[in-house]
Amino acid sequence: MPDTIIAPIIPTVPVTPAILEALRAIVGDKGLIQDEQGKQPFVTDWRGSLTGNAAVVVRPATVEEVSGVVKLCHDNGVAIVPQAGNTGLMGGATPYPSHTGIVLSVGRMNKVLNVDPVGYSMTVEAGCVLQTLQETAASHDRFLPLSLGAQGSCMIGGNLSTNAGGVQVLRYGNARNLVMGLEVVLPNGDIWNGLRSLKKDNTGYDLKHLFMGAEGTLGIITKAVLKIWPAPKDVATAWLAIRDPQAAIEILSEAHAASEDNVGSCELMSRACTDMVLRHIPGTQDPLKADTPWYLLLEWSSSRPKPDGGEGMSEKMEQFLADQMEAGRVLDAVIAQNEAQSRNMWTIRESVAPASRAEGPGLSYDISVSISRIPEFIDKGVKAALDILPSIRPYPLGHIGDGNLHFSFMGPKGMDRPTLHQYSPAITRAVNDLVTSMAGSISAEHGIGIDKLDELAHYRSKVELDTMRAIKRALDPRNIMNPGKVVRV
Amino acid sequence: MSDLVEKLRATVGDKGLITDEAGKHPYLTDWRDNYLGRALAVVRPATTEEVAGVVKLCAARKVAIVPQGGNTGLVGGGMPHEDASEIVLSLNRMNRIVEVDPIGYSMTVEAGVVLKTIQEAAAQHDRLFPLSLAAEGSCTIGGNLSTNAGGVQVLHYGNARQLVLGLEVVTPQGEIWNGLRALKKDNTGYDLRDLYLGAEGTLGIITKAVLKLWPKPKDVATSWIAVPSPQAAVDLLSGAHVASEDNVTSCELMARQGVDFVLKHIPGATDPLADRHDWYVLLEWSSTRARRAGANETGLAEKMEAYLGEAMERGLVLDAAIAQNEAQARAFWGLRENHSEAQKKEGPSIKHDISVAVSKLPAFIGEGIAAMKKVLPDCRPVPFGHVGDGNLHFNCQSPPGWDKARFFAYGEAISGAVYDLVTGYGGSISAEHGIGRLKVEDLEHYRSKVELDTMRTIKRALDPDNLMNPGKILRV
Repeated sequence: MPDTIIAPIIPTVPVTPAILEALRAIVGDKGLIQDEQGKQPFVTDWRGSLTGNAAVVVRPATVEEVSGVVKLCHDNGVAIVPQAGNTGLMGGATPYPSHTGIVLSVGRMNKVLNVDPVGYSMTVEAGCVLQTLQETAASHDRFLPLSLGAQGSCMIGGNLSTNAGGVQVLRYGNARNLVMGLEVVLPNGDIWNGLRSLKKDNTGYDLKHLFMGAEGTLGIITKAVLKIWPAPKDVATAWLAIRDPQAAIEILSEAHAASEDNVGSCELMSRACTDMVLRHIPGTQDPLKADTPWYLLLEWSSSRPKPDGGEGMSEKMEQFLADQMEAGRVLDAVIAQNEAQSRNMWTIRESVAPASRAEGPGLSYDISVSISRIPEFIDKGVKAALDILPSIRPYPLGHIGDGNLHFSFMGPKGMDRPTLHQYSPAITRAVNDLVTSMAGSISAEHGIGIDKLDELAHYRSKVELDTMRAIKRALDPRNIMNPGKVVRV
Repeated sequence: MSDLVEKLRATVGDKGLITDEAGKHPYLTDWRDNYLGRALAVVRPATTEEVAGVVKLCAARKVAIVPQGGNTGLVGGGMPHEDASEIVLSLNRMNRIVEVDPIGYSMTVEAGVVLKTIQEAAAQHDRLFPLSLAAEGSCTIGGNLSTNAGGVQVLHYGNARQLVLGLEVVTPQGEIWNGLRALKKDNTGYDLRDLYLGAEGTLGIITKAVLKLWPKPKDVATSWIAVPSPQAAVDLLSGAHVASEDNVTSCELMARQGVDFVLKHIPGATDPLADRHDWYVLLEWSSTRARRAGANETGLAEKMEAYLGEAMERGLVLDAAIAQNEAQARAFWGLRENHSEAQKKEGPSIKHDISVAVSKLPAFIGEGIAAMKKVLPDCRPVPFGHVGDGNLHFNCQSPPGWDKARFFAYGEAISGAVYDLVTGYGGSISAEHGIGRLKVEDLEHYRSKVELDTMRTIKRALDPDNLMNPGKILRV
């Protein structure tokens, strides 16, 4: 837990032997983990920066078991930390050290229940690994667009609870835009069946959107009906050396029309990030031997196969890049000629997180501003951090089409973690003040969890926090559902 | 209560207060003439601060508020009750476009701006605001958002909620929530925005919104197509996504019955095709890439022509006309958009705004028509709607010459048969029009106790005195 956070008050009802036996009666021996070693991966977060406690890890196999477990905890006032793939970056799925209740892992609920290629939908359990779902869709000639670095281990329940983003948001939207229906176990153990595969349904409050992004504080998502899309048949991927971030915005703005609205991804990379990946991730190769500071990974995709002898995506992109070079925005560019080349470009982009772990201690901010203000934000943000710690190394990158930057810094060469972290509060305040002054978001896609609890309270209005608290108190009056995350009640 | 009226006058001025019966009348009756309510006063604030002031005054006296936009709703959501205990709060004086940001593809507007004005303002900046529906000349954006309106471009751009980046809302306590963020991504706590959207004014009053804009289409192809069956329409659409490179922006299905009503009642309407057919599709493709000059360049019209030719060979299309100019395209759209108007002129009708999964639509239409005919063999089903959304206006026109009283005696039986069928199909009994007053009991009947309880819990938490549009959507 960041040292600056004072632990919120959470229920501390213990799991008594009687409760433990009642849990065992619901989920069986296979569904309970009691030994310390077995519990360890569930009480530590992916980054290794948070460790908490839990009396027991409970792993139900069905929604009825989830419901039974929650009812039992509700009746006894035992706190629950819901958890899926445990790849979150804000500690939303990690118990507090003072937690005396359970971790409820949905990892055993990992069945794909139905794929409807004609109706373009798929019904899945919360514990399905994202990559498995992508592959399932692909095997039906369909496309599940949610795609992010952790896809090999993150699970859809966590993706939806955090309204995950990723590299295809530009075209398909955040996780919440990919969902038609949900099944949720409420804090009292009731099961809400909202598993509708409807594109339109105006029948009362939109509960679905309330549970998505609530980080498990209002209930546990157990199943979802996901939208799927036609599989892309013609894809062009390019690596561009560009003039500056302003050029990136202008390139994207013109790419929409040039590609006939087929821009799938547009990721801004810095030379520093690229070099860091090349240093630490075996097998990656620099797509361009350029020495300029800014790059763009641009991908266009269409569901129409390239017509025989006709103009496909790469021909359109080639023409476009030539135009952009003439305009002085693109300095050099290479279009991937085969799958391996495009894979290499994507690996560089997606390996920034693991590479930065290998590089050493750093600070990272997941921010968004309106797209047209990104260049201004980068300039001012880098300057603000350098004012505080002149030798810090900026590593900006991000989803430029979404206005979302992973505004990251590596510590000065040779500086250890504790020393760097002494500067963290001042830099965080400077960055988040800047974000707020530019009407941006201090957490564009990673959520609030534990890490940003106090930042949210600092930057959001009283009326907004009060409204969130009113909803939390109403739906979870005993405050047992992931207590102390997102908002203090 | 005279004390309240005077305090309201002090808050909004004489211009903002209507207390005489004749002046109030248009705010107390709905477009379909199904409701005639009464109100203590109609209050028309000019600013968000005035809205907040009015809400605070009413909250202190426990007087209920019925928020109202353009008053074009179809389920009575903006209608006051008959006991004259409520005020109507109309947003129609808050009609400023605050800002247009063409580079950032966004626009900030007040709640009372007419939808068409927003579309035109976007077009002036070479941008598109895609929300488009028959009432666009009089409906206002606040109402569109409060009801999560649909319309004819949902297929490509989504419902109203997908077109919104941020909101400003006055809460039931009269506090102003400033959520006017022009951000595409913002994961900071509960999604309040999506809770207010579609809540029909029962959780607060939307006073401003940041809307998303899109590039303006530069190449549009519109066609009027006769198809043999609803199944052919679904198959036609399915192939169109690929053939158009994901550029299908509208796909509307109509039965001959509705087209006949339009041809009969709407001056100037003509049938684009020589022969009579049972089913029609209005198909529109749009691209933001302008057609380039040159013989080799294929624009959308050429692509569509090739696709329809191929579909004709497969038996999915019987006959088709592609609009040669904008006037023709508008005429095709007129046939679709005048369905409600023509039905009104033809006589009484019972409306059902339903949705099912797209692939189940053809089977539903067949069974649904049979179900209505079983109740009243002479009734005239008028199904039409948005194929790509699985959303049909599954309407039922009275037998020729029947008056409202005689026909509406069958209303419950006809609607019950339709809604039972919809529920059996896992569908929605209100795909885009909302619940309002009209469908409160239907919602209670068809939704689970858990769902209703959860909604009630939220309503009670945010509006404990039940003063914000009480009796709509839910009975607390």
